[in-house]
Amino acid sequence: MKSNTSRRDFLSAGLMLPVMGGAPGMGFWKQSAPPAAATSPSPAKLSYKTLGKTGLKVTSVGMGCMITSDPSVIERAADAGINYFDTARGYQHGNNERMVGAALGAKRKQVVLSTKTEARDKDGVLKELDTSLRELNTDYVDIWYLHGKSSPAEIHDDLIEAQQLAKQQGKARFVGVSTHSGQPQLIPWMAQKDVFDVVLTAFNFSMDPGMEQAIDVAAKAGMGVVAMKVMAGGSRSQKMAKDGAMLAALRWVIKHPGVGTTIPSMTDMDQLEENLKAMEGAFSDSDQKLLAEHLELILPLYCRMCGKCEGTCAQGLPVADVLRFLTYADGYGQFALGRERFLELPAKQVAARCADCTECTVKCPYGVQVSSRMARAQELFA
Amino acid sequence: MKTAHWALLPTLFATGMAGAQDYLNCQLAPGWAQSEAKRNYVADNLYDYKDGAAEGYLSYGFVRMQGITCKSGANTLTIDVSEMNDADSAYGIFSANRDPRLPVARIGMGGQIQPQSALFAKGKYYVEIVELTADPNSDRTAELSALVAKMQGLIEGRDSPPEELDWFSKENLVSTRLVPKSVLGLRQLKRGYVATYKQGQAFIVEEATPESAAAAMKDLRAHFAGATAAPIGDEAFQAKAQYLDGTCIFRKGRTLGGYANLPDPQQAAAQAAKLAAAMH
Repeated sequence: MKSNTSRRDFLSAGLMLPVMGGAPGMGFWKQSAPPAAATSPSPAKLSYKTLGKTGLKVTSVGMGCMITSDPSVIERAADAGINYFDTARGYQHGNNERMVGAALGAKRKQVVLSTKTEARDKDGVLKELDTSLRELNTDYVDIWYLHGKSSPAEIHDDLIEAQQLAKQQGKARFVGVSTHSGQPQLIPWMAQKDVFDVVLTAFNFSMDPGMEQAIDVAAKAGMGVVAMKVMAGGSRSQKMAKDGAMLAALRWVIKHPGVGTTIPSMTDMDQLEENLKAMEGAFSDSDQKLLAEHLELILPLYCRMCGKCEGTCAQGLPVADVLRFLTYADGYGQFALGRERFLELPAKQVAARCADCTECTVKCPYGVQVSSRMARAQELFA
Repeated sequence: MKTAHWALLPTLFATGMAGAQDYLNCQLAPGWAQSEAKRNYVADNLYDYKDGAAEGYLSYGFVRMQGITCKSGANTLTIDVSEMNDADSAYGIFSANRDPRLPVARIGMGGQIQPQSALFAKGKYYVEIVELTADPNSDRTAELSALVAKMQGLIEGRDSPPEELDWFSKENLVSTRLVPKSVLGLRQLKRGYVATYKQGQAFIVEEATPESAAAAMKDLRAHFAGATAAPIGDEAFQAKAQYLDGTCIFRKGRTLGGYANLPDPQQAAAQAAKLAAAMH
């Protein structure tokens, strides 16, 4: 919880012994005799990248274990060749770490295993790391992240000291920060600090082009880049129901040279098989078309909260806020909450009507049809 | 439809907000005082508070969260109440977050109180309480138990766990949980209850109709190469699978059930037959 309250020589060994045997097809994993063909892993063509200065050779598709509920999916992913597994101390109050540790079992040292801490001070994070190691049934993690940071101000010196201490003690091979927002400021700061090996960041086709620049900065500084939220929320919201769109979204991220690996969430065997396909082919024109079509679908509706419209409404309306309230109603079925928040605005803003303007002064850089969306909010809530 | 929606609004505000005022109250814990404004989160900003762990809440039908932070000297108490779609979903997120190694207490539909934290679910609400003290080894169980008792008395809704859990055998049972998606890692088993035993696991998935359950059965059977029929319920098969070992899946009306991760399919079928007989 982000509560307001939120060994040894393996480094060299790791560099010499790339995870998974370095090259695809070397058969590091022994495929046990498959008693039932339909539940055995399909032979997958794997692609590998080097995770920045860590030197780790990782599959370009890793596995986010966050919402995986059955360990068989993790076992099968490892057998299929995926070699990057991500969890966190906070997932399911620690139950997720326990399941990941049990599922990887004897394969633990053949994969890159990352976890995260949300504690806020040196003693807290180090205590959480010890708990993580115990629950994951390992004596080290390959990458240990500070969980969910949005600005340099959140990364205190004592947290950095704790990470460096964990490296010295052999409890973490490499350290980094995970981030969902604020990357254009945070990542360049991390790059110049020279104490972080990896950044785990939200990155997908629907994001601001500034994100690609931030990733380039990280890569140039030698930081490994792990991408999450690669489907742009697609699997949860089912916004990307069109066949192939999610695969295209995953390929879009993989093609970026600065990205080392990705960690899409996987809950079942079918999803695993689909994601493995992302490593079989390059991002294609048809992928591009699919994503463009999807963007067309969501652009007029989907406010990215970039803040570029702030102060541009002639009537002084807080456009991003109102669009967010509308999302509560239209996107999440929370009509009462949307109206509640709308009515908390100053009376003048509640009474304002977009129809009173002859032309909308707000120009959304992403093409959101601001005036019609605002008018809908006013009709619905006011 | 629109008229009906508007007509419901006063009721929605009255019940949702007034209820939260009652049980989200630092004064329920003697000596504690609220230290900052109440927290409010919905699905699209829960990441701001829970980071990636938010995904777990969303998968269980999260509606919104309200929380308060209380202070008593240097100690901090955080109380978060998540409203879920329904009582089963509230039980589901509780079952995912509880420590399966510890017993479930009779608090609402189920709860756990540990030295510095407490969880419980009642009605469509899931409650998480964390106490941070200067001494990380202090035992606050008594204080937390008193607070939980007061809170659960103020929260309305169901206080018994989902009845489906009664169908599982209690012998060698380790834990039960609601899996929100892809039971046993199989997409065909959409959402259901899983019982973990010292050896193996059982499951129950309810489909909307017997027809949709039969369609799921057909897909499942195709998924398990070499499956053979078993005489359980309306239809059943058993198989040996690489990751699920000895497995048996049956359909009884609109309900799918079965056993997996047993040494051989015959054992799984025998256990599945007992499960099918216990269902009503």
